[in-house]
Amino acid sequence: MNYGIIAKVIGSLLIFEAIMFAPAMLVGLLYDETSAIVFLGVMLLTLTVGLVLQKISGSSKSIRAKEALIIVAGGWLAVSFFGALPFYFSGSIPSMMDAFFETMSGLTTTGATILEEIESLDRGILFWRSFTHWLGGMGILVLTLAVLPALGVGGFQIFKAETPGPVADKLAPKMKHTATILYTAYLGITLLETVLLMFGGLSLYEALVHTFGTVGTGGFSTLNASIGGYHSAYVQWVIAIFMVASGINFSLYYALYRNRLRDIYQNEELRFYLLIIGTATLLIFFNLQWEYHGSVFTTLRHAFFQVASITTTTGYATVDYEVWPQFSQSILFFLMFVGGCAGSTGGSIKVIRLLVLVKLIKREIMRILHPRAVVPVRIHHRMLEPDVIASVTSFYILYLLIMAVGTMLLSLEGLDLTSAFSAVAATLGNIGPGFGFVGPAQNYAAFSMPAKGLMSLFMLMGRLELFTVFILITPDFWKEQA
Amino acid sequence: MKVLIVGMGKLGYQLAEAFAIKDNDVVVMDQKQSALQKTADQLDVLAIQHNGVEITSLKKANIGELDLTIAVTDDDETNILIAFLSKRMGCQRSIARVRNPEYSRQSDFIKEEMNIDYIVNPEQTTAQEIRNYLLRDMSMHVEDFAQGRIVMADVHVNHMCNIAGYQLKDLNIREKVLVAAIVREGDILIPHGETLIEETDVLYLIGESEDVASFSGRCGVSTDKKEVDHVVILGGGRIGYYLTEYLVDLGMNIKIIESNRERCKYLAETFGNVLVINGDGTDINLLKEEGVFGADALICLTGLDEENLLLALLAKQFGMKHVISKVSRPNYIPIIEKLGVDVAVNPVTITASEILRYVLGGKVASISLLLGGSAEALEIVIKPEAYVTRDQLQYLELPKGIIIGAVLRGDDVLIPDGTTHIQPEDRIVVFILSGEMSRIEEYFYPPRRGFLSELWNYR
Repeated sequence: MNYGIIAKVIGSLLIFEAIMFAPAMLVGLLYDETSAIVFLGVMLLTLTVGLVLQKISGSSKSIRAKEALIIVAGGWLAVSFFGALPFYFSGSIPSMMDAFFETMSGLTTTGATILEEIESLDRGILFWRSFTHWLGGMGILVLTLAVLPALGVGGFQIFKAETPGPVADKLAPKMKHTATILYTAYLGITLLETVLLMFGGLSLYEALVHTFGTVGTGGFSTLNASIGGYHSAYVQWVIAIFMVASGINFSLYYALYRNRLRDIYQNEELRFYLLIIGTATLLIFFNLQWEYHGSVFTTLRHAFFQVASITTTTGYATVDYEVWPQFSQSILFFLMFVGGCAGSTGGSIKVIRLLVLVKLIKREIMRILHPRAVVPVRIHHRMLEPDVIASVTSFYILYLLIMAVGTMLLSLEGLDLTSAFSAVAATLGNIGPGFGFVGPAQNYAAFSMPAKGLMSLFMLMGRLELFTVFILITPDFWKEQA
Repeated sequence: MKVLIVGMGKLGYQLAEAFAIKDNDVVVMDQKQSALQKTADQLDVLAIQHNGVEITSLKKANIGELDLTIAVTDDDETNILIAFLSKRMGCQRSIARVRNPEYSRQSDFIKEEMNIDYIVNPEQTTAQEIRNYLLRDMSMHVEDFAQGRIVMADVHVNHMCNIAGYQLKDLNIREKVLVAAIVREGDILIPHGETLIEETDVLYLIGESEDVASFSGRCGVSTDKKEVDHVVILGGGRIGYYLTEYLVDLGMNIKIIESNRERCKYLAETFGNVLVINGDGTDINLLKEEGVFGADALICLTGLDEENLLLALLAKQFGMKHVISKVSRPNYIPIIEKLGVDVAVNPVTITASEILRYVLGGKVASISLLLGGSAEALEIVIKPEAYVTRDQLQYLELPKGIIIGAVLRGDDVLIPDGTTHIQPEDRIVVFILSGEMSRIEEYFYPPRRGFLSELWNYR
């Protein structure tokens, strides 16, 4: 194992994070808050640690798959730890475990909060809290790849480990260029939404905070009542549409830019994703109309917003869906296991894996009907390699296994089954709010410390697609090969 | 430069590796996932799993914006078609690998008609390389630079008289010759005055061609061409075929041992005065019976690296003077020369360096991969404002792995020392370890403009 290079890359990452404290510090300065000094202090501390780590010299510059896994998992832990310090030192969150949970929730774009009262906090602190969504959304290491001098081949290994989806594809020959393309698209969407939200009457600060929460599919808000606090249909529509847009594979925006409309039109994952959102919205809409006979447009808006929010794993809410009819609730519950497309900022299982599963079932049926038929599993007109299929199925099984073990452990807290199950689903899927005890009107403050630690781990596992973290706790990984 | 390489075999991989350094954008394409996976994991390139002959897949690689397409799939017709198509679709240049002897005779016609810029034939190139070794006496291999004015030669110390045990500075080199590097047990080291020469070393000499000849002559390296007369070739495959063609022209006596009866018939028909023996090359009794070990040179060209290697070692055991072995896996080469086999030729490396030489032609005038790619010798024409023109060499602090071997200024060949000041328009031959390859730009080419690029290049 090449520990030198691991320390070096994590060091660069921390230096980068130190720079990323600057916008939050600026907000603190602008609003004349004490948080500015806290940020300055934490910034210097992070910078020092980063520089020290960078000085460690390694045996070689090569990053193999193994090192990349440690860099990604270790990097996320380190960034979460240092990112939690402003919350802790400013006194906004007095317990370090809570601060760590909140930061992990921010970086993994989960949006689960332990804060009961948000609106009274310093704006610098709240800005940082939402900014972590933006940083974590596309992958903080991928961002580092775009900015720092080229890591070359190691860059691709890191990219593979951090990007969601069963297969990671480069968009350009150079890794650095690929990272730049992705972040240009990300930045573009961010700017567009900020401007649109400002048209809706939000201040620049509010617009930015909610944009970060949307494009990162995170879900932190500055209002206790989330987006429902803005009684503006326009703002809710903008956010809902941008949530859906952020759940789309970002390489498709590059295809749009290159004018490859056929690639977009033929993208099966995108179609399936839009189909799921559309169907779920309509079902909930009819169910709500049937029960309450409200205004058609208001009902449609709330149905669409909640569906988009849960499917893309954002976790914003305009209403408390727990007062909705059971049928609508059960649809939302199962949408927690859908997630965004591969290569998007969304979490959970990802649409592409569902698509593979659906096709596998179809193939099985075909095989039973025509025992001698040769039926390949094709996506985007390409046959899927058997090992990709195997990785998808084992992903499901591991996901279910973690869900089961997690639910059992959380029920030790005395939670009812729905609450425990949805708490695991909401953290592992990076969604945020769940049902029951962790519903959209509740928060995670009441959990015990070990439970918060466990859920932080689930969030990290979910964000890094299970295996990256899971591999690190297997003994085989640490055996040094001769 | 933007490059598309179709076909990720050994050659494709080595080319991708060579091109992926610096700012080149490299796209690789292959139909097989397994071949691509390795490349994508180990190199910073874009891998596309597609059939390169399809127009849609060429479009996917943005063929219109590319500078170069290299088609090196295992099929000649496919390669020709890919090179043809990509040229038609807007790629600047294209190169195809064509190995079938029937085609290679008409390669000029194909090039002309299909508008392909360059056709490489690995087997033919390798055969040429082997012929060159044999011609120039086995103890020395010469590489030309600056249209033959400057040469680089590698000389085995045990072929020279009495220089082992001396330090370099005591050699009394009168000629303008520089010992640029020493290969010791498979590793390359950059020598200085106090370096002690050992019996098993290989010296890389750079200098004006007459000087190198006179120096090596003085050290007892014979240049007698008639030394090699009886040659035995094991394996009558394509390389064997081309080599036989060349050596027969030179009037040598050739014996080919080939295990496939049909192939033997074909060879015997094609070459009237060559003895073709149908038998297993690993059968020692057969080899003894045929007096193989009494010949002047043995060339092992069977399809298996291991077989070639063991036979070469066996031949050395029997005291054969000249043994050349084909080895396709570059990793083996350092070990082989350590084991006493005179020369290991690697068709992949030879072909890769031929392609590089052609592609970089304008900018880097000549290039040769040495020792399976662990070092290179480049010929560079210096432009104004390049870093090396700033001061005398002793003040420039060039890295240890970069050695300027010779300078061609106007018509004069200079062997540089610390006081040499490189001028614009000088043609220089640089010997460079591949670890330093990425820094070539920094030292020998004019800096890129702009404040940002200054920051970018800062290390």
